[in-house]
Amino acid sequence: MKTQINRRSALAKLGGVLAGVLILPVARQAKAVVQKVFVSSNAAKGYDPTGHKWLMCIDDNKCIGCGLCVEACKRENGVPEGPYFRTWIERYIIPKPKPGSDQTRGEALVDSPNGGMHGFPEPPLPKDQIEHAFFVPKLCNLCENPPCVQACPVGATFRAPDGAVLVDPKYCIGCAFCIQACPYGSRFLNPVTKTAEKCTLCYHRITRGLKPACVEICPAEARIFGDLKNLPPDDPLEKFYEKNRVQVLKQYLGTKPRVLYAGLDKEVR
Amino acid sequence: MHRPLLPPQILRLVLLTLAIVGSYLVARAFLTPPTFYQYGWFRGAALEEIAARTPVFAGKQACDECHSDILQKLAKDAHKTLSCEACHGVSREHADNPDILPVKATGNYCLRCHEANPSRPAWFKQIVVKDHYSGKCTECHLPHQPNQTP
Repeated sequence: MKTQINRRSALAKLGGVLAGVLILPVARQAKAVVQKVFVSSNAAKGYDPTGHKWLMCIDDNKCIGCGLCVEACKRENGVPEGPYFRTWIERYIIPKPKPGSDQTRGEALVDSPNGGMHGFPEPPLPKDQIEHAFFVPKLCNLCENPPCVQACPVGATFRAPDGAVLVDPKYCIGCAFCIQACPYGSRFLNPVTKTAEKCTLCYHRITRGLKPACVEICPAEARIFGDLKNLPPDDPLEKFYEKNRVQVLKQYLGTKPRVLYAGLDKEVR
Repeated sequence: MHRPLLPPQILRLVLLTLAIVGSYLVARAFLTPPTFYQYGWFRGAALEEIAARTPVFAGKQACDECHSDILQKLAKDAHKTLSCEACHGVSREHADNPDILPVKATGNYCLRCHEANPSRPAWFKQIVVKDHYSGKCTECHLPHQPNQTP
């Protein structure tokens, strides 16, 4: 026998389904709130990402290329062994021009053996042929207009309200589009987790009031880090601003980096 | 016999559209994490998950709690910019439990920074080891007060 469908029961069923759909987000929100209360997290309590604005500055006249920052970064963040770096040091060697040529300087040689983690070997040129040589520490440039965030198809890479560009490892599908999109080469695919990884500004440290590991360990004070929204009066960041003229890497790309360099050479790219 | 409000083919189209939009809304309600739009187009809870990692380096402030005498000496000399853990190694365990001693610093730590390299800035003190001295650095230099001799 065929079941009778009258208007009343049909409307009641439709109404039930609609109410179910509408109540779902509310129920999920309630679940999240309950989880927040009962599931304890190791994260620092009371950190409000909208109340901070982090800025990293690099005084390139001071970098001595010891590689302690690279090693500290690997230790602090558990970065896997091998050619995977969240921060690294590049050595630029600019040779003297060839005799008889009308150039002012030779073509720059750039190397970074193992990210500079164990220091740098003897330069490939004899000392009298070197016009100028220096180190440049590199890391995520914390763009205000980040190409990696635009490239991410699943919303796993994002720019937090405090200026840190982060990766949500639970959402990352490991497609590596962001690695191609980053003009500074500061991302890599973690061979263990198969997700994209990058400098987080040591987010677990800065939310607890500590400095990032590379800033903490740098023996030459080449890295200066601070919070623009809560700047104490005699902060090193303020002194750095007063004394130096700063520039960013690859300004022509319009990425608006928040890593400011002082004392860069025109060859640095 | 009354005329229907919509022709049947249009009614079917409307119902189909409603079904598609409805199933999208249901799927969205199920699949979007609760904190997704908290700060923007990403999962707000990810910030806390990333921040949940335990710091490895204790930091100079933690050393200052017990070793302020050494840090005061350090602050008067050329090595004032150095972090304790730059030479003594990761000391979080030592900061939590003073019975666990940190790694003993050796002369290799001096050379890591002070060995001559043309890429190092000219203001920075550098030595060519074979022209300088073959013994231990600490025979002549105090690591905490490098400008003084023992």
